[in-house]
Amino acid sequence: MQTQTFELNMGPQHPATHGVLRVVLELDGEIVVKATPVIGYLHRGIEKICENRTYVQSIPFTDRMDYLSGMNNNLAICQTIEKLMALEIPERAEYIRVITAELNRIASHMITIGVLALDLGGWTGMVYCFRDRERILDLFNSLCGARMTFNYIRVGGVGWDLPEGWLDECRRFLKDLPEMLKTYEDLISGNEILQMRLKGVAPLSAERAIAMSASGAVLRASGVDYDVRKANPYGIYDRFDFEVPLGTSGDNWDRFYLRYLEIIQSARIIEQALEQIPEGPVMAKVPKMIKPPVGEVYHHVENPRGDLGFYLVSDGSPKPYRWHARRPAMINLQLLDELSRGTFIADVVATLGTLDPVLGEVDC
Amino acid sequence: MLGKSLLTGMAVTLRELFRKNVTEEYPEVQPELGDRFRGGRLDLVVSKCIACGLCMNNCPNGSIKLKTVKDENNKRQLDSYIHNTGLCLFCNLCVEVCPTKCLVWSKEFAYAGYSRDALVFDCMALDRERIHREEQSQTTEEKG
Repeated sequence: MQTQTFELNMGPQHPATHGVLRVVLELDGEIVVKATPVIGYLHRGIEKICENRTYVQSIPFTDRMDYLSGMNNNLAICQTIEKLMALEIPERAEYIRVITAELNRIASHMITIGVLALDLGGWTGMVYCFRDRERILDLFNSLCGARMTFNYIRVGGVGWDLPEGWLDECRRFLKDLPEMLKTYEDLISGNEILQMRLKGVAPLSAERAIAMSASGAVLRASGVDYDVRKANPYGIYDRFDFEVPLGTSGDNWDRFYLRYLEIIQSARIIEQALEQIPEGPVMAKVPKMIKPPVGEVYHHVENPRGDLGFYLVSDGSPKPYRWHARRPAMINLQLLDELSRGTFIADVVATLGTLDPVLGEVDC
Repeated sequence: MLGKSLLTGMAVTLRELFRKNVTEEYPEVQPELGDRFRGGRLDLVVSKCIACGLCMNNCPNGSIKLKTVKDENNKRQLDSYIHNTGLCLFCNLCVEVCPTKCLVWSKEFAYAGYSRDALVFDCMALDRERIHREEQSQTTEEKG
């Protein structure tokens, strides 16, 4: 009997696509022959917008790229501008930056874990992760007055000093974190159905991961030991003792479970930072109008989704001549076609969940 | 044993059933947003404003539009001050740059309207209303 493939649109208005992503699926029955991500539905032209703004004004726009990890984006752009200006940052500000960036990483991974459970049909798992993430958002709200679009890390330091009792509240959160992780283990990662759905599905070899320049948990799940915090330490990350969890087979399960393990490591970093944090100013002396010297700079940080880099070219004026972002979610998403081929249509949702794109960053 | 993990998961949800609710009873109970919360309109104290325009120049999205006029002493005076919250990023750069600290957030979050115009606020008119309200409450206090 002669059969033919047919095309199916997944998205753009589909809750499992983590935003407005359209995937054109070519199907042979239930089996995926080809999956083409169609991006651009959330494109705002942030790069071009920021070329028409001053350096400081571009910071709030980075909040809106990867909106689940605004702190890490703020950190990346600020460190890039500081590198361009050769600016020294006060010690206390450096510690606050590490604490907030790692807290944001935990919050972001909680979403990844919870939403993957939701994508696979487990509504309950998602609610628990969102409940616990709320604790972090409340901490951020008391710190800078915003829950997701922070604009907290600034050129030369951070916007505000820690409010009274914030560090104790942060310690309390870390004390409760093991119990939260136990809940996720019992409810989500220990679940047989979830394990059967994820294990052995869509494996990615280390060679292909490197060839596709994947980064973050997607790369490390394939067993490649590359974390910008270790490979090219920025800020004060070389002062902390933490491990980089690695996967073996690079399948959906590895990519998912690695995020769980990374939460534990982030908590370790925060604990050390809370012990070592000194008193002092949180802002360096920065000119009111920032005019970096003529030159270009590239700086990258480890954001929850991978290797986030910013490339800035200064022509000596208050506005950057070129403002470019290397967005990890965008690059990781390109693996979707390769990983989905030959899997069931229901596994595309799982693969997309473990690749963990945030469409604000993919489309930028 | 097959299915054991499902029972473990159900035990988690069962335990949760007897715990305190974490959801807020909104709108009966309003959330505690803290004193650093950025949101709502910009409350401008016109008497303190020197009409320097730094807030407008610092806004990344052009959400503040102010016009100035020169008075008889050749001093700049505020003519109009419009805050378009539909464009606002709530980044706080305007509040931080203000040399006389005459801008503060109104800290409200529920001001959805039926048209885009409902998101545009005339801050000078709001300031006049505020002064009027304060005067009225003062007179009622004196009377009562």
